Amino acid sequence: MNAAPAVEIDHISKRYGRTLALDGVTFDVARGDVFALLGPNGAGKTTLLHVLCTILRPDGGTARIDGVDVMKDPLGARRSLGVVFQEPSLDDRLTVEENLEFHGLVYGVPRTLRRARIADMLALVELEKWRGALVRALSSGMKRRLEIARALVHDSSILFLDEPTAGLDAQSRERMWQYLRNARGERELTVIVTTHYIEEVENCDRVCIIDGGRILANDAPAVLKARHGHELLRVVPRDETVAAEIVAAHADVATRIGEEIVLRLPGDAFTESFLARYGTRIRRLSIEEPSLESVFLSLTGRELRDQAAGARERTFEFGKRGGEHTR
Amino acid sequence: MTASAGGLRWGHWAGGLYAIWLREVKRAIRDRGQLIGGVVRPLLYVLIMGIGLNPYFRGEVYGEVHFVLPYTYVQFLFPAVIALNIMYTSVQSAVSVIWDREFGFLREVLVSPMPRAAILLGKILGGTTVALFHGALVLALARFADLSMTLGDLAQGLGLMFLIAFALTSLGVVIANRIRSFEGFGVFSNVVILPLYFLSSSIFPLDPSLTSAQTRVIYPEWLVTLIELNPLTYAIDALRGAFIHFHQFDARLGPAVLVAMAVVFFAIALRDFRRA
Repeated sequence: MNAAPAVEIDHISKRYGRTLALDGVTFDVARGDVFALLGPNGAGKTTLLHVLCTILRPDGGTARIDGVDVMKDPLGARRSLGVVFQEPSLDDRLTVEENLEFHGLVYGVPRTLRRARIADMLALVELEKWRGALVRALSSGMKRRLEIARALVHDSSILFLDEPTAGLDAQSRERMWQYLRNARGERELTVIVTTHYIEEVENCDRVCIIDGGRILANDAPAVLKARHGHELLRVVPRDETVAAEIVAAHADVATRIGEEIVLRLPGDAFTESFLARYGTRIRRLSIEEPSLESVFLSLTGRELRDQAAGARERTFEFGKRGGEHTR
Repeated sequence: MTASAGGLRWGHWAGGLYAIWLREVKRAIRDRGQLIGGVVRPLLYVLIMGIGLNPYFRGEVYGEVHFVLPYTYVQFLFPAVIALNIMYTSVQSAVSVIWDREFGFLREVLVSPMPRAAILLGKILGGTTVALFHGALVLALARFADLSMTLGDLAQGLGLMFLIAFALTSLGVVIANRIRSFEGFGVFSNVVILPLYFLSSSIFPLDPSLTSAQTRVIYPEWLVTLIELNPLTYAIDALRGAFIHFHQFDARLGPAVLVAMAVVFFAIALRDFRRA
């Protein structure tokens, strides 16, 4: 058994023109962990994943997968990797089984083992009935499941999932996590997942918060909450003057997010004095327990959900202007 | 590395190459539109254009009917139609490189432990196979073109067709790699395929009894120059050598140009692919 960490990343940097997409990123992922890379769109998650998949050369630093240097021996590093990309990468003119068979062949899985694995993995993601169906006939949730099955057909011990639940409904998302848990019961598997759904990372072993190409924190969710989390007071003021007054009076702890003001709670006494002062001039108020959401807010000064929505809007805007084909 | 590990690796690469090849072939079989094109195109060129122009394929000198070539027009045209069918299919399968890139499938292959050279070779061999098949479809019309060929001619012809298909698929990949936004196959057809085809002495002969200088008197100089610069001219000439035993150029030139095209275009495609 190899004793090296599943993934070792040492001072990886990548620059696109004048933007520093990754700025000396360093961390390890222990064997068997479910490791979440959490950050807003454009934080550098996908860039980092592409470096680890060996399809993007970093400008500096080293990375090892299963003890194999991704720059020196990319073919060797890819052998132990299973990758599920953000955009689907199935051939939709081939059937479900043909896609898996193709994958088994290009990863050099011997015939008998290939047959067995394909059957097992189809069972794992509950797609046995769709074996002979063309991929274009599947729903997007089923395609995602098939991609997970595909990433497990060869001897992958490390699974990369780039936003695997993006665009899926809540039920499909929950099922996908269930499949991943089942897969981990079947073999020793390290899972590295990027996401901007904060509720999904609660059950991960470690959460690594990344923003602007830098690691802001990397710990177990409970430790992160204890160290960086705060109780939050969410307030919706009646009008703009009250809002301005609150923000001005508590500039050190207040953040405006839309019509809401989020205040980091220094203590219980604060709530009482706050209520006494503004109680009649606010429309709504709620207190939130320390959550990863608050961890993210206190580390980046921004809310994750807003960031994600912003990026989505930008994409829609891009599409309205004519998208990819206008360039 | 031990001998058995080396053997395993070659076995894996061969298996991966086969998978990539098989995918190309399967996709082509499932694409009805492509197949219909492959059948209809030779029918139009051979049965309508070929047979229609057949009576006009001669010249009159001092009242005497004089044939520039000792062949009928359909016979002359036939090998070129094979080349045309191969060209359409080769370029079409090379264009699927663009779809693979746009729809993400390329990534699945790029993160696999297959070397880039094997991935590209599998892709191009797949396109070559389909193109060769479409070229062979034309052979079914041989009797309408009044063509009789020996098994030896056929074998030689198929060998040349393979080289043409390989070279043109590689060329297609080279072009596809340089295209960032894709407007559809029609652009390829009008900008690459048809100009190359019409400028290859495919549908009209250059009188082989004339010297290069004399030819330039009969035809505009620019036209002759473009035809002589076009590598496809020599590819079609080689096919004519195999199927009707007629050459407009030195018989050794055709195969030499074909091998050179195959090697050079594959090398460029590989260089681009490694860089991507």
